[in-house]
Amino acid sequence: MENIVVRNNVTILGQGDQPLIFAHGFGCDQNMWRFITPAFMDKYKIILFDYVGSGNSDINAYSSEKYQSLQGYVQDLLDIIETLSLQNSIFVGHSISAMIGLLASIQHPDYFKKLIMIGPSPCYLNDDGYLGGFERSDIAELLDMMEMNFTGWASYMAPIAMSNPEQPALTQELKQTFIAADPIIAKEFAEVTFLSDHRSELPKVSVPSLIIQCSEDSIVPSSVGDYLHQHLKNSTLQLMEAKGHYPHISHPNETIQCIADFL
Amino acid sequence: MEKRLNNAPCGFLSITHEGLISEINRTLLDWIGYEQEELLHMHLEILLSTPNKMIFHSYFYPMINLEGQVEELFIHLKQKDGMSVPFLMNAKLYKEDLVERIDCILVKMKKRIDYEQELRSAKKLLEAAYQEKDRALANLEQIHVEIEHQQAKLLEMNAALVELSMTDKLTGLKNRRFFQEQLEQHFNHFHETAETFSLCILDIDHFKKVNDTYGHQVGDDVLVQLAQLLQIQVRLEDIVARYGGEEFIIILPETEIPAAKEIGEKIRHTVEQDGWPTGSLTISMGIATVTSEDTETTLIKKADKALYGSKEHGRNKVTHFHEIK
Repeated sequence: MENIVVRNNVTILGQGDQPLIFAHGFGCDQNMWRFITPAFMDKYKIILFDYVGSGNSDINAYSSEKYQSLQGYVQDLLDIIETLSLQNSIFVGHSISAMIGLLASIQHPDYFKKLIMIGPSPCYLNDDGYLGGFERSDIAELLDMMEMNFTGWASYMAPIAMSNPEQPALTQELKQTFIAADPIIAKEFAEVTFLSDHRSELPKVSVPSLIIQCSEDSIVPSSVGDYLHQHLKNSTLQLMEAKGHYPHISHPNETIQCIADFL
Repeated sequence: MEKRLNNAPCGFLSITHEGLISEINRTLLDWIGYEQEELLHMHLEILLSTPNKMIFHSYFYPMINLEGQVEELFIHLKQKDGMSVPFLMNAKLYKEDLVERIDCILVKMKKRIDYEQELRSAKKLLEAAYQEKDRALANLEQIHVEIEHQQAKLLEMNAALVELSMTDKLTGLKNRRFFQEQLEQHFNHFHETAETFSLCILDIDHFKKVNDTYGHQVGDDVLVQLAQLLQIQVRLEDIVARYGGEEFIIILPETEIPAAKEIGEKIRHTVEQDGWPTGSLTISMGIATVTSEDTETTLIKKADKALYGSKEHGRNKVTHFHEIK
């Protein structure tokens, strides 16, 4: 129990009983909900956390094998729900996290009462008539850009860290670099996020869902919202006036309203 | 905008909370080939390719709003002609009364980026080389393990061969070769420590008759039975070997004349008492105890002479060499 709470840096807030789980998206941590949570403090039990590899999670719990697919992150979410014995949770997920919550709800529909998805996408890549918004070359360029934007990246050389028994001091130093260098994890998270395709899972979802789509989402084309709405039973599509991909930061009030209306 | 900022040697850009461009200086406009009217009130995205939008939205935007500032963001802006220009950008959240702006300073890093790209490709080559090295090492380790395994197998086989080369196939006793080696060692030991030892040669009486009467199979059975009997009767430190045909030889370490005779007598008696496929069976024995003048050859000769003495005196006897002088 302790382990999961520490591992995922779980924070519990609010005075209510109804669990309201906020799950951050790619590139962020639980901090991103800062402008949203105050509005729900008095009536809900708010659960915030960081996925392993993000924010203040226990980076030692990260392994490339486990988190090479979204299932690793789905397990993080399920672990938290089970550890805290949460029932009938309302799940709010941003971006890729919306998909993580959705996959978790397929495995355990009974854990979830409602899914609220902000800027969700089941597949970021364009594919034969499906407009995901990204070409493969975009993903490659994005990974490059990420690499060049993270300090520590250049100094970290994976193969050296893997084995260097003849120079234990060096290995030690690199180990520390690794702990400080979530760049590698961020890159793997980016790959998992942007190369994943969960379109075939959509029909398996039974929990009622709200799709919150920005009017001009610069990351996810608005057609993706329509696509999700068509393929998800019991789904509601809510188009926001807000533009961008982070309405909960750029337009917190409108976002709060959307969530509150659906609760 | 103040004239000096407008023409400052860096790009200046201010955007609203929603990301709309509210100010942009001449320097930056010149760099990216736009006029001010084309960009004012447009979303910054107009200057960003898809991956750069992603960087902007997933790193820059949350960070500037949560932390109030961003330093050294590497980002590309699209020129009007579509060309992509790399920039290093610092940004700070500016708030006064109800006005909120994100002020950005941009520096072109064309030359710098070429240098960085070179470093990156060198790093990638190095990584690949390291991976190759690790693979080669793993391969070598595998080969090493196999060689060690083969070597252990060879050693085992060699030990088995050595054992085989020193063993008499029929009786399972040590053979004459082994005996010769042991005798040599006992002589060395004797010269170093003067510790006496005795040698005992024995031979089945009328063995030719056993073979002739009962056949070679029974002859072999008798040899095997006698070998077992000898092995049981001697002490742990004694060395029994088949010397050839129906002749056996025993080295008795640290054994003087009387003790040697006693052991010989005990063996002779046991053989006589034992049950044999031929009914009864006896052996004759000759013993010699080492003296300082002895060599391996003379000692064997002495024991042989003593054996001859036993035969001469009616067989089924134990004779020590010193008795026949």
